[in-house]
Amino acid sequence: MADEESTWDRIKANWRVVLLVVILLASTFALFSPTPASGGSAASTAGNNTTADSGLTNIEYGLELSGGTRIQAPLVGVHASGVEIPNDTSTSAVRSTVAANIENATASDVRVRYAGEYGDTIQQTTIVEVTAGNVTAAELDAALSEAGYPADGAVDRVSDVTQRTAVSILRQKVNQAGLSGGSVRTVGGDVVVVEVPNANQSEVRDLVESRGQVLIQAYHQNENGTYVRTTVMDSDDLRQVGNAQQTQGGQGAEVGVVVAEDSAQEVQQRFVDTGLAQQGGTECRYRETPNQTEPCILLVQDGEVLNSFGVRETLAQPMRDGTWADDPRFSLTTGNLSTAQEVAINLRAGALPAELDLTSNSMLYIDPSQSERFKTDSLLAGVAAVLAVSGVVFARYRRIEVAGPMIVTALSEVVILMGAAAAIGYPVDLSVIAGFIAAIGTGVDDLIIIADEVMSQGEVSSQRVFQSRFRKAFWVIGAAAATTILALSPLAVLSLGQLRGFAIFTILGVLVGVLITRPAYGDILRALLTGEH
Amino acid sequence: MPAADLPFGLPEVDYSEYSNRQLIAVPLVVLLVALLIISGVWLTTGAPVNLGVEFTGGTEMRVAVSGDNAQQQIQQAFDPAPSAIQPVAGEETYILTFGEGVDSGALETQAEDAGFTVRSIDATSASFGAEAQIQALGGVVVAFVGMSVLVFAMFRTFVPSIAVVLSAFSDIVVPVALMNVLGIKLTLGSVAALLMIIGYSVDSDILLNNHVLRRQGGFYESAYRAMETGITMTLTSIAAMVVMTVVATAFGIGLLSSIGLILVFGLTTDLLNTYMLNMSLLRWWKFEGVNR
Repeated sequence: MADEESTWDRIKANWRVVLLVVILLASTFALFSPTPASGGSAASTAGNNTTADSGLTNIEYGLELSGGTRIQAPLVGVHASGVEIPNDTSTSAVRSTVAANIENATASDVRVRYAGEYGDTIQQTTIVEVTAGNVTAAELDAALSEAGYPADGAVDRVSDVTQRTAVSILRQKVNQAGLSGGSVRTVGGDVVVVEVPNANQSEVRDLVESRGQVLIQAYHQNENGTYVRTTVMDSDDLRQVGNAQQTQGGQGAEVGVVVAEDSAQEVQQRFVDTGLAQQGGTECRYRETPNQTEPCILLVQDGEVLNSFGVRETLAQPMRDGTWADDPRFSLTTGNLSTAQEVAINLRAGALPAELDLTSNSMLYIDPSQSERFKTDSLLAGVAAVLAVSGVVFARYRRIEVAGPMIVTALSEVVILMGAAAAIGYPVDLSVIAGFIAAIGTGVDDLIIIADEVMSQGEVSSQRVFQSRFRKAFWVIGAAAATTILALSPLAVLSLGQLRGFAIFTILGVLVGVLITRPAYGDILRALLTGEH
Repeated sequence: MPAADLPFGLPEVDYSEYSNRQLIAVPLVVLLVALLIISGVWLTTGAPVNLGVEFTGGTEMRVAVSGDNAQQQIQQAFDPAPSAIQPVAGEETYILTFGEGVDSGALETQAEDAGFTVRSIDATSASFGAEAQIQALGGVVVAFVGMSVLVFAMFRTFVPSIAVVLSAFSDIVVPVALMNVLGIKLTLGSVAALLMIIGYSVDSDILLNNHVLRRQGGFYESAYRAMETGITMTLTSIAAMVVMTVVATAFGIGLLSSIGLILVFGLTTDLLNTYMLNMSLLRWWKFEGVNR
């Protein structure tokens, strides 16, 4: 008579199988539930666009399986840390002296940052950084000691603060460009990876290639009568950047901006000093006769003048009165809407502190039609591999109660891995699929060890015999698992981009196997071989 | 002495008929030849193996070409012409490889001008590739050293441990030599496979050592039992990888086919190393070495 107690005992004795079933159910839920399970916040934001989401499952596909462009490149720049700068030296003096000692750099390429807290990053010592191409760490080191600012050492990469800023600016740019589902991250320390689904290579290149430095400059005559440019404001001076819109009743487009309170007075003063805010406003003839014009406002992006325009009296007068700074609004006009959008993005994100080194990059573009093909083809390759494994295992054991559970157990590892990928929103790529296949491979190997060990030396007569044999088998499996994890761990941290997913999921597969599925297989095999339940 | 009762109806082997010298000679000669090939290639080309575009820099582009004479159309469309054209099974698609220093944007334009549909572009610049080379090599070295330390820590006896490490070394070196002989280029996938080999190869070696060192019963009895299991494991993996390689190559999924192919090489080498090199070292240690 099977009373309550014996059912409970049975569950207790087979708790590994129960655990496997529970985890399998959880994985299935993560895979197929209509809303992503907990931890799926990343998945749900990316899921708003149509292709990163697969529709049938909650699996988020990576670039190779969803189509799009990926650019990987380091940032241009070198930096020296622990630089000793005398207290009375101004930053601009340091910049120009250092630049003078380096062939390929100008003062604007040199950045001095004193120790302190910058966002989440704490910088311990004073750093001097050069973000121009073709400058080596050795050159910077030499330039610093020549200038009398000895450094502890220089390295051929940008500083941490610069890298973080660059990544967050790139992220803003990608998100604001209407390219949904894009991501920016770093791998292997200093390689920046920009991934944008559904975009072709030129779109993404254009977006990340430029520094995106937008300057609003005054074009005016100095005391000597020669025309010079003076920067009156840049993105740092702005509190708010409006949306680009078509100019009302005219051609061209404009971006409304609001200047930050603490900058408003200075900006206003520069307008007055440069003559932009002169009586009656100015009429700009920069394009026609640049040597004979009243002061102009130039909208400059990465050194290129996008537009030039004069100042209306309605703006000039409050500036002269000093009342403009109380409500410091300004409108930037451009020739067309797309330029205005670009300017708005760049103003909002700010200028990149360093460029991406596109001479040392790796670029991948996958057409959506190709990614669909990859999806079905890699699935076929995986299924073929599983069939091959099943064939060999059946040929070897010729006993359905041994080989059948083996295949089912190995496949359940894949289901758990897929569920994990869906739950954490890890983008599934070809390399992750390779990891799934590797998991089946190592999984079945270990199941063979268990089966052989358990069935060796005649029939499995009792629980105790089974337990002792199972434990012996597990020593080998544990040792093998540890080596595989160790062997693949370099890939999980290196910047060999696409292999990361492979390593992570193979390691995860080995862990799931050793901790969950393989012990459960042992229980199943015991039940089938000893006849005890 | 009983002969090994091998699975899959493989012919019986009686190890007691062969001396340790005879057994160990085969894998050592194979290893030596492999090392010679690799050092020869290293001296002549400056790298131990032919490097693919991911490491040297270059562009790999997948285009769909309609109409006849696709190969000829491709040759005419590009300047410089692709260094390799690989057709993909069942589609009018070709994978083109271009050398380093060609702008991928220009290639895309040329392809579009010729009326081809660009399916994918994978471009790497030389200096990025050079960085990847260093990382890949470093990764393999770190993984290997880590594995060796772990193996020594687990067995705590010199001969069985060094047997495992030596056969893992050979399992990596022989596939690399085979790549050189067959003109297969190193890709990121092959690096992953080389690292996987470290894991897979150690499996069967650990199994063998474990049976011989930690079980009661005679050497041959234990060893043959380990062999039965180990050979099943390795053959299962080989079967899976052969099938995956064939399918992935036909469909032009480079990553999967290079992982599969190198694993097939490595696992096959592992059969040789585990059951000749490791086996004879263990036998020598068990019957002669321990008493010294």
